[in-house]
Amino acid sequence: MTTVSNRRTGAGRPTVGRGVSRPGPSRNSLTHPPRTGAVLVTPAIVFVAVFVLAPLVFALYISFTNWPLIGPYRFIGLQNYLTLFQDPTFVHAIGYTLLYTAIVTVPILALGYFLAVLIRARRRGSTFLRTVFFLPYVVGLTTLSFMLVLEAQPNSGAVNMVLRWLGITDGSTAWLVNGPLATLLICVLVVWAVSGLTMVLVMSAMQGIPDEVYESAQLEGASWWQTERLITMPMIRSTLALSAIISVIGSLLAFNQFYILTQGGPGTETTTIVNAIYNRGFVNLQLGAATAESIALVVVIAAVTVFQFWALREKD
Amino acid sequence: MDRRAFLAGGLAGGAALALAGCSGTLPKVDARAASFGRNATGTVHVWCRSATQAGLTAAVAGFNKANPKLQVELTPVPDGQYVTKLATAIRGGEPPDVVDIDDINSQLFIFREAFADLTDVVKGLDYFDAISPGHLRLLEYRDRYYGLPYLADNSQLFVNTELFDRAGLDVEDATKDLDSLLAAAKAIRKTGDDVYGWSISGNAAGIIGFVTQPHVWATGVDMMSGEVGKQTANITGNEALERMLEFYRQLWKDGVLSKATYADAGTTWGADFRAGKVGIFPTSYGATVPAATKAMRAKMQTVLIPSWDGKRSFFDGGDNMCIPNGAANPSGGWAFMQYANGLQQQQALPDGGYFPTRSDAATPAYRKKYPLAFGPLDAIEKGYAPQTLAYNLLVNQPSSPYFAMFREAVFGSGAAAALKTAQSDYTRILDQVQA
Repeated sequence: MTTVSNRRTGAGRPTVGRGVSRPGPSRNSLTHPPRTGAVLVTPAIVFVAVFVLAPLVFALYISFTNWPLIGPYRFIGLQNYLTLFQDPTFVHAIGYTLLYTAIVTVPILALGYFLAVLIRARRRGSTFLRTVFFLPYVVGLTTLSFMLVLEAQPNSGAVNMVLRWLGITDGSTAWLVNGPLATLLICVLVVWAVSGLTMVLVMSAMQGIPDEVYESAQLEGASWWQTERLITMPMIRSTLALSAIISVIGSLLAFNQFYILTQGGPGTETTTIVNAIYNRGFVNLQLGAATAESIALVVVIAAVTVFQFWALREKD
Repeated sequence: MDRRAFLAGGLAGGAALALAGCSGTLPKVDARAASFGRNATGTVHVWCRSATQAGLTAAVAGFNKANPKLQVELTPVPDGQYVTKLATAIRGGEPPDVVDIDDINSQLFIFREAFADLTDVVKGLDYFDAISPGHLRLLEYRDRYYGLPYLADNSQLFVNTELFDRAGLDVEDATKDLDSLLAAAKAIRKTGDDVYGWSISGNAAGIIGFVTQPHVWATGVDMMSGEVGKQTANITGNEALERMLEFYRQLWKDGVLSKATYADAGTTWGADFRAGKVGIFPTSYGATVPAATKAMRAKMQTVLIPSWDGKRSFFDGGDNMCIPNGAANPSGGWAFMQYANGLQQQQALPDGGYFPTRSDAATPAYRKKYPLAFGPLDAIEKGYAPQTLAYNLLVNQPSSPYFAMFREAVFGSGAAAALKTAQSDYTRILDQVQA
């Protein structure tokens, strides 16, 4: 006969028969009545049910209706889903968002990695540089976008003044009324603002690699690039994967910077998927269709994320 | 109860709560009773849009002072959120008693029966015939009225008479149609290197819709036709529209507009005109006069906006007041609406940058006090704004087809392709919204 001191398995409870206690939590506690656990988790479950699950179910319901922002609604089945790709604005927004995601993802990872390499060593000035590089992320894309609205103005904004000073343009470039130029400007803004987060994540992972590994590589005569490629990158693979997933999800859900800087224009040239959904819901006042588009986006993002996890998984 | 049943129960309960909260129908306001608007007490909750708050604040103060038993609480709502917040309040069963709403959005709610039918009390007003017909039209649906106009925000042509004199131009002759306007703008451009004949914010969708559409409306046609809910696009083959776009393209090509026009988002709207550097400026009173110096005001003159064939019109923008169905104090709300539309309150509106919606407000004393604020009142029947469920989508949004058409026609490849694209986009949006 043995006794187990772990409370979760029944503190001091004698076990009979097989001579060892059953592993894992017991459903019958001697110190608490069986319902105590249920009572304790009830607030959390109610919270999740009311504020997460019910809205989700409700959103699903709305997506099967023609729910307008104003007035009565009616059930229309799968019509919102079947007509998703008949809206040229939404289709264009999908293409544009994928293009935007493709443009910014690699630069965010590359710049974040490069910055992490710069500051990972504990030398004088590293902390200051970390703060400087991370600051744009702390300030936030929304604030930065508002600032850029002013700084991108022709003849008066800092962007044009600097370009004129460098002799690249005459300083009258209307960045925000030209689709490709606006996209370029927003991509530069986002890469600059967001790579700070990648830097912090990657740096933390880098600092977790034991010094002995690098010392061994040095003794073997490995170059800097070989060390990065064959040691650092494989050992922080999961962090790079996480950074990539965060970046891709953020890009697929891009809204603020476009709403503030171009409002999706000129025309619908820089309309992202979330911009399109917002317009459908709060400008067209068609919440049913907008909700169907939102749910489709959630499903797509989940699928992309699962794929990324699979593609970037640790391989033994 | 096992864990699965517990979770399912919570989920179902939450969903039921959410559905119950969103499916109510509000009781309709009965405005036919003889006592409606009389002897009301308590509080009247009024929502106004932030852009026109200045016009209403003084009226609320005056009403509260004169009616100790009936007090108005004014809540300004940001313009961009107004429709969403009001719709949410109505769906939540807690609408305000009175909404002072952008008149162009009135039909969104009227069409869906969210506002009270005020036909009897509106028609019973002794100044009914003096009310702006353009504003009233936005409150009308199938011969019933669902509110009362409150303030007007009209677009006109403001001219700098000093520059007109310098160019040897007579204001009336030089502004009678698009050809004469183009000639005048070119002549003014020649009076100085830093002087421009015309000014418009070429990258501001709202402003472009506000000041350019009256050139078309003056001929009696719009960019859409048919009754609300069944409208169709009227872009291709619209001669007045084509001529207006060609007029602006010529202004741009001939350098009568400054280079900044292309990217000007309206952040400094009117600054060039107020500085005396522009001959003709389509705009509103509020965007031009209050910020101008006394000397500059003395140089200003206004005319209504002409079409290519010499007819005139102006945008009937501004606010309408309506009572949502389900309002807690509709009688008090109507009492306040009547007060806000009183002659004294109406005649004070130019102080906030707006015009009255009653033509009888233009008394000799009013004209003397506001010499630039009575043009539209003298021709109140020429004012227009389209009755539609899709104005924001069609015109006001940066992604709107009207805005895209204007820019492509004026700054881009010309009107032909722009009109064709706009026809298609108008059709798609109207079909979507009216489905």
